Amino acid sequence: MTAPALDYFELIKEAKRVAADRCPGKVRIAFLADCSTQYLVPLVKALFFRKGVFCEAYEAQFDAIAQEACSDDSALYRFKPEIVLIFNSTAALRRSYFAFEGAAPDFAEQSLKQIRAVWDAVKQRSSAMIFQTNFAAPYDRIFGNFELKADASFPAAVSRLNGLLAQAAKSEERVLINDIDHISSYLGRRRWFDEKLWLLSKTPCALDCLPYAAQSVVSMAQALTGPSVKCVVVDLDNTLWGGVIGDDGLEGIGLGELGDGKAYQAFQHYLLELKKRGILLAVCSRNDEGVARLPFREHPDMVLKEGDFSAFIANYENKAANIKAIQERLNIGLNAMLFIDDDYFERNLVRSTLPDVLVPEMPADPADYVKTLCELGLFEAAAFSQEDRRRADLYKDDARRENLKSSFANMDDYLKSLEMKASLGRFDSFHLPRIAQLLARSNQFNLTTRRRSLADCERFMNDQAKYRPFYITLKDKLGDNGLICAVILRRDGEDLEIDEWVMSCRVLLRGVEQFTMNAVFEIAKSVGAKRVTGCYRPTPKNGLVKDIYAKFSFDRLAESSEGETRWSLDVSRYEEKPVFIAQQAEVH
Amino acid sequence: MTREEITEKLQAVFHDVFEDESIRLRDDMTAKDVKHWDSLNHINIIIASEQKFGISLTTKEALNLKNIGEFITLLQSKIK
Repeated sequence: MTAPALDYFELIKEAKRVAADRCPGKVRIAFLADCSTQYLVPLVKALFFRKGVFCEAYEAQFDAIAQEACSDDSALYRFKPEIVLIFNSTAALRRSYFAFEGAAPDFAEQSLKQIRAVWDAVKQRSSAMIFQTNFAAPYDRIFGNFELKADASFPAAVSRLNGLLAQAAKSEERVLINDIDHISSYLGRRRWFDEKLWLLSKTPCALDCLPYAAQSVVSMAQALTGPSVKCVVVDLDNTLWGGVIGDDGLEGIGLGELGDGKAYQAFQHYLLELKKRGILLAVCSRNDEGVARLPFREHPDMVLKEGDFSAFIANYENKAANIKAIQERLNIGLNAMLFIDDDYFERNLVRSTLPDVLVPEMPADPADYVKTLCELGLFEAAAFSQEDRRRADLYKDDARRENLKSSFANMDDYLKSLEMKASLGRFDSFHLPRIAQLLARSNQFNLTTRRRSLADCERFMNDQAKYRPFYITLKDKLGDNGLICAVILRRDGEDLEIDEWVMSCRVLLRGVEQFTMNAVFEIAKSVGAKRVTGCYRPTPKNGLVKDIYAKFSFDRLAESSEGETRWSLDVSRYEEKPVFIAQQAEVH
Repeated sequence: MTREEITEKLQAVFHDVFEDESIRLRDDMTAKDVKHWDSLNHINIIIASEQKFGISLTTKEALNLKNIGEFITLLQSKIK
């Protein structure tokens, strides 16, 4: 599933439909606040419900934090909370500040004392965890920037108090800080503080910011039972580096100084930090394995190394099967896995075949990868132990070849659901540049690697008698892949020779190969050819297509000492292959 | 926007916030006349209306709203 929105009005509606009997999990949270919690509580309930947890809530009297905490037989303790959320607001703190009779610099210490007294009171009377909110920094600065240097300043007091709270919480096992300071700062203080709303209802922030505060509480509560994400599975091409390693090679992929390479490096740094805090990393890539490992071994700008991964799968199987294999190897739940891929096709494939795996939408710009993941709020920790630090080492990938299950039955359903449409046309001047580019850059799905130039292509385009060159564009209901295949057919007596066949690796295994071959034989029939012939010329990079003619039941005619093979198939013996791709327009 | 158009749009806000399509707004309607319209939902109506119409009520205006008719007049004065 993708991450649903934190929309205030949507969540209010969802809150009305929360039902205890539909939740496998339960939690009891008490809300103590010096501001109104009447809008926060339904949001917390709705967000818990999204995770299958029923939240029973106790709301203390307004602005009675100390009274309820310190009273032995208060309703608070009779409620038997598992979590006590203490929401101290900046607005209430400001009132205290201006009523404070001591010296301004002592205010922060005094406030901390009062807050600690509440912690102690709760700890004595209950075994609940305490979620203590810290303070949204105020936007009013009497001194402007000089506020930082002034002694008697409310903003300075807030900043100091937040620091003291963080420090105090370090030695308190049962206290976690609900970092409202971070959330309000992230969203923007000018948006966070809604003065009218405070005056009308004593709500601590704008309603459209409240879901973020609520999500924070829910994430913290869930983290108490263990991390929600235990493993991040990443694609390689255009996810960990720019470009496609199989086509662009070590020198061409975007890392370091090349293009937006630094954005990918930043993303790798982020993943490395996740690994250091105990989250496992795994690779799931559509690539030849040796080619996929190459940048890790030889590219100087790679941040992540092979040893950082607990599983490394690179092959041409479908990614859902690979992710399932990773899940079984690491022995964690599918719902503890996060899958990151720049390609919407792969994301949607995994979402439809493995709905428990979390698959976020990724932005088009890799520079925004880190921000996108941070906003998901998936990496909440309630503790950090030595065991966490070492977890990745316990699961080091041992480069075993996976014994993979064959493709899921649902793969066909998925392909059908995409409503793929392809259009096929003879080379034309409009498409020629892109065709030439595909011929020049494709290394993996490239049968003969003849590297026909733009001039050659133009010649084939114009020679109606001898050549039948065509291109294929592919789109589906989710997006447009553009021009992804080019085939050059040459008449040779009674034969139709496949002079060149290239295809973008991004669209492998969707049926384009079959669609293409069907088209080749249709053309062969239309020109009266008896046989279709072709050859495979091996290069270090095109092992992928070594046996493709065999897969289409061609007869192997010859094999040279260099491994070059020649193939043929009688037109009358070709059986059209079923595909889930509809043809749009045909132009010869 | 005409008064009728504003009434229609405001009615849609009520339908959405209360999840009740049967609500029909009249000028003399007050909170007492509508089932879910308590002080908690009053804030939701105000914020939702501000978002929907792209306008902003002052604190005083929000406190002094007496009935739907006055609300619509207020919205009319704010919508460009």
